[in-house]
Amino acid sequence: MVSIIRLSTCAALAAALLSASAFAQDVRVGAPAPAFTATDSHGQTESLTQFRGKFVVLEWHNQGCPYTKKHYVSGNMQALQKEWTAKGVVWFTVISSARGQQGYVTPDQENAYLAQMHAVPTAVLMDPEGKLGRLYSAKTTPQMIVIDPTGKLIYDGAIDDRPTPDPEDIRGARNYVSDALTEAMAGKPVQTAFTRPYGCGVKYPD
Amino acid sequence: MRFFPTILVLPLSLVAGLPAHATTDSADAPHVHVQLVVPASSFNRGEGADAGLYFRIDPGWHVYWKNAGDAGEPPHIKWTLPDGIAAGPLEFPAPKRLPLGPLMDFGYENEVLFPFNFNVAQTAKPGWVLLHAKVDWLVCQASCIPGKAELEVTRGVSEHPRRAVLLSTDEAIFKRLGGRLPRPLPAGVQAVFQPTQQGFQLSINTGRKETEAAFFPADTEILDNPAPQTLEPAETGLVLDLKKDANLSANPTELKGVVELSGGRTYEIAAQPETALKAAVKNLKAALSAPSPAPTSAPSPGVNTAPISPAPAPTAPAAIAPSISTPPQPAPTPSSGLGLLRATGLAFLGGLLLNLMPCVFPVLFLKGLSLVNSGNEKRHELRTHGMVYTAGILVSFWALVAVLLSLKAAGAILGWGFQFQSPVFLALMAGLLFFFGLSLAGQFEIGLTITGAGGTLARKQGYTGSFFTGVLAVVVATPCTAPFMGAALGYALAQSAAVTFAVFTALALGLAAPYVALTLQPAWTRLLPKPGVWMDVLKQAVAVPIFATAIWLAWVLARAYGADMLLALLTSFLLLAIAGWFLGRWPTKRWATAIAAVILIGVVAASILAPRKLIASSRSVVSSEAQGAWEPWSAAAVTRYQSQGRPVLVDFTASWCLSCQVNERVALDQPSVQKAFQDSNVALLKADWTRGDDAITQTLASLGRSGVPAYALYVPGEAQPRLLPEALTPGIVIDAVTNLPKAATQSAAAASNPK
Repeated sequence: MVSIIRLSTCAALAAALLSASAFAQDVRVGAPAPAFTATDSHGQTESLTQFRGKFVVLEWHNQGCPYTKKHYVSGNMQALQKEWTAKGVVWFTVISSARGQQGYVTPDQENAYLAQMHAVPTAVLMDPEGKLGRLYSAKTTPQMIVIDPTGKLIYDGAIDDRPTPDPEDIRGARNYVSDALTEAMAGKPVQTAFTRPYGCGVKYPD
Repeated sequence: MRFFPTILVLPLSLVAGLPAHATTDSADAPHVHVQLVVPASSFNRGEGADAGLYFRIDPGWHVYWKNAGDAGEPPHIKWTLPDGIAAGPLEFPAPKRLPLGPLMDFGYENEVLFPFNFNVAQTAKPGWVLLHAKVDWLVCQASCIPGKAELEVTRGVSEHPRRAVLLSTDEAIFKRLGGRLPRPLPAGVQAVFQPTQQGFQLSINTGRKETEAAFFPADTEILDNPAPQTLEPAETGLVLDLKKDANLSANPTELKGVVELSGGRTYEIAAQPETALKAAVKNLKAALSAPSPAPTSAPSPGVNTAPISPAPAPTAPAAIAPSISTPPQPAPTPSSGLGLLRATGLAFLGGLLLNLMPCVFPVLFLKGLSLVNSGNEKRHELRTHGMVYTAGILVSFWALVAVLLSLKAAGAILGWGFQFQSPVFLALMAGLLFFFGLSLAGQFEIGLTITGAGGTLARKQGYTGSFFTGVLAVVVATPCTAPFMGAALGYALAQSAAVTFAVFTALALGLAAPYVALTLQPAWTRLLPKPGVWMDVLKQAVAVPIFATAIWLAWVLARAYGADMLLALLTSFLLLAIAGWFLGRWPTKRWATAIAAVILIGVVAASILAPRKLIASSRSVVSSEAQGAWEPWSAAAVTRYQSQGRPVLVDFTASWCLSCQVNERVALDQPSVQKAFQDSNVALLKADWTRGDDAITQTLASLGRSGVPAYALYVPGEAQPRLLPEALTPGIVIDAVTNLPKAATQSAAAASNPK
């Protein structure tokens, strides 16, 4: 009798937990990263599930934002993209600026920008409706998210620990994305898994 | 001759030097004008100097608070300073919530001053010093523009301490914006939080019903910033529901930040986690620490549900508190969730404690003496005495409840301590205590002679005596109970009659408990010492706190009603002393008793009649004094000044409202406050509700108030007036009128400086 009660309690608890997670809209470090499908700047459809087994980086981008410029004009972001895609990481640049807002670009404009800046992400996801941004609660550009090969979110936050628009500050900064990827690839837990992202607010549609 | 340059040239070059450094103390960048504000032209060694970093921002753009919210960055400043001079960190006024699509930022629009301090060491070299700063900031609308500038000012370091000349432009900015930093919570007010499923519940017991509240977290990663913050109604403060950041895994040990309440009141808080035990201790402490801080309005302003209204001056000390302590009033009243059980428990404890109050102790002491004397009486008689004493206390409290409830039903405006608004009550109380003190001190024996007064009845043998001791205990306890009971009664009065009744009953039982315990347990009476000379000595000693209480009441009267009232009161003290002398000198003579009785009746009559006259005259003095500043209120006058674009402050007051008087004396009529009014070109209107006035009543009702004091500040461009707190300090008022939006102050400045 007692064990039946215990069992049913467990079941009820489990059900409650499950339903709670099912309804929770929030993105949380340590939890499964929400699945998404999006179109890239070449018109290809990219979905998170197809990259199971690989590390995935999401980089929120707004080419007019001084904080994004800091990392592109200095070449810092391109260097990161080169370094980590070479190690098998899938790197998605995400543009969530709405039409008419700062940072909004057409696919052609973006491709021209990539060529001009020598940027080498795996793909640029075009998100003018802000769906992907809202799904991940992206707040700023640049905001960085790292997903591990099991689909778990392992880092969410700033690109580094110098929240300024000044390229001078890149040298000597601690890069959280590199740290997270290095640690996770070595099978270690990510030390700093959550920081306050800095930068310009993502220009969502009103 | 060697010193000539330092003595003469310093001030000269100061004037000459001004245009030179004026060019670099500020910078104009896209959408902002940034400026170093250092009002003092020279520093004294070993002292600090106020300074600030000022931003004027284009409309629609904003700069950020220290926690910028979801995006953005606060301004930073890096100094290059000569040896011996150090600059403190920038301090941040309370920000605004700035929504940006689904995001929420915290920052400032129009203009903001970040104050900081220069510290000048004794070792600093006298002469000119260059203060150089690298400033960077982020200014955003929808898009963001980072900016930086190098700013510097030159100031003197004086060889010998002297008063610095203030540079008028810097001083003006500092005066206008320097006082906007959040204050620490007033003593006794506490902020606590409890984790909830979604986040946190933040509770602050400000002592009044809060209708607006916003919390700005100091930590960047604690809250879900855009989530609405839900204010739950609480009678004596606020309960704010906050949603936590989804990534927050462990609960914080404290919740730090700034809370902004209605009327622009901002406080720096560090809320502690609240456990059930802590909550209980907090409530008790709040209730016990009553005398210094003050429940401004035990029952809350009649904003909505509260059946009774603002309770202008719950207690005399409450009303006076603002004059002694600068921090704004709010009170240590138990927080919102004060349940019935807790309230009655608290009331009982409170009743117990009342026995130790200087006003009550002598009464209990008299009772104790009678116990010692009646040590031989039979047990059941003692017990009956105890019961009758309890009945006396209960009946008095119930009578009080009845009065309160019937007044409440009749829609009268009162709170606990309403009797203190009555100068008649204050005068009678002071007289009674003084007379009682004389008797205790040994001038005469109450019991032997006079008939009729409570004291005599209390000393009467038999049950009537016990009953009236109870009544006397309640009556003389009032001066001490008022502040203490604010908490429990604030709760009780806002509840149903049954609850009010229960709380008062618990209080009465608490007050009666020690004596009843003695009478029920004869074993304990044996512990009482034998009668002897010590009883007289002790009795005389007890006269001291009684006189002290009389002094306090005299001060309250003098404070509120002026020197004439004090003169009348002291005269009545003299008459009482003469009556006492007759009673003491010729204790058995009928004629002496008769003379004393006549004097007493005369004093009582004078106490009832004189205050009205005196108040009338003191009012006329005040109004003629203040004629220049205050005009009589009328709705038309408000409209007229509004149409001129001037801010208008309306003082809703009444001569019987003690806290109104105190507010006027300690705040509104202070020269510094009057100057602030002039500076901001505020039109001052006084709505006198002493005899009631339908137009005023209706205006008050439209403001959500049903009584005085009320202070409404009409700001140009705002449909609804801002309401100031019910207990004013000069700081609150100055803040309120210097806090006006740019348009208002500009037009004000234009109006006051027509050149």
